Amino acid sequence: MIVVVGAINFGTRLSFIALFARREMPPLLARALRHVPAAMLTAIVVPAIVFAAPGELALGAGNVKLIAALVAGVVAWRWRNTLLTIAVGMAALWLLQRFVG
Amino acid sequence: MRTHFSRSAFIEGVRDMLPMTVGLIPFGIVCGVGAIAAGASPVAALAMSMIVFSGAAQIIAAQLLAAGAPFAVIVLSCFVISLRFLMYSAALAPYLKPVAHRWRNLVAFLLTDQAFASSIRRFRESSDIRANVSYFVGGGAVLWLAWQIATIAGILAGAVIPASWQLEFVVPLCFLALLAPLLHDRTALIVFAIAAIAAIALDSMPMRLSMICAGLAGIVAGVIADRVLGRSATTEVEPGN
Repeated sequence: MIVVVGAINFGTRLSFIALFARREMPPLLARALRHVPAAMLTAIVVPAIVFAAPGELALGAGNVKLIAALVAGVVAWRWRNTLLTIAVGMAALWLLQRFVG
Repeated sequence: MRTHFSRSAFIEGVRDMLPMTVGLIPFGIVCGVGAIAAGASPVAALAMSMIVFSGAAQIIAAQLLAAGAPFAVIVLSCFVISLRFLMYSAALAPYLKPVAHRWRNLVAFLLTDQAFASSIRRFRESSDIRANVSYFVGGGAVLWLAWQIATIAGILAGAVIPASWQLEFVVPLCFLALLAPLLHDRTALIVFAIAAIAAIALDSMPMRLSMICAGLAGIVAGVIADRVLGRSATTEVEPGN
């Protein structure tokens, strides 16, 4: 299983590098690809913070993960620093859990 | 075969990536803990980190393994979650045209969110491809090494870390740190909103297919927004760090 998953990962990583090594990329694809980072990162991050439990949507102030993520998001947006984002996000989560949860 | 190695650029890549490894360590620990909790042996857990070298895929694999999911579902889920590497691969492709196969393969193996994020600007701005590739490989090598150390730490000390620390929250925070700086124009905000709504609405889809579907919804929204708003707003592939 490890080798199969590893091969898949390597394959996706190499895919376009190999494919477009010799030919030009279609313009529409190139434009669409510009949106991929924001779209995919959103699709990864949002489900991890808006569900209190699997299938249980929690968009209120009672969701400490959501509040901590909003605080961390502002920090990330303003300072563009990964370490600071993680530190503030974790600190916010711990504090909220202690005093709210 | 032309050589693509510049020692000074390699060292520069190593140095620039060092701060990033601090954020990677908790992520790797979580992966090590997850693999052991899923019933993997320490050797298998480390082998997974060495070969797969992708936190998101490793966490999904461990979760599904623990849940007793069939082999095909695990493999397919890992494929779905790895689809984001298609975009990194595509974004790097034009710059790697003149690079020898051996080095292209090495770049592909070391291609991660962090390595991509911290080197894409350099690939765009400098035409010294030899130095750029060396820089990328230097940073990638540091990440790979830190990833193994973190996994070992997770395997050894995992059970000691209390669940109340919620260490796994580091994972969305890492991605948030890459995402937030991208949201600097209207098009990007539309992409974010549509992808977020789709991710919530489609959450019940099996094998985390919701992730790639939400991503595609965001991309389509972005292309349409470009048309409607005029193409002046360019969403740079340029995360912070």
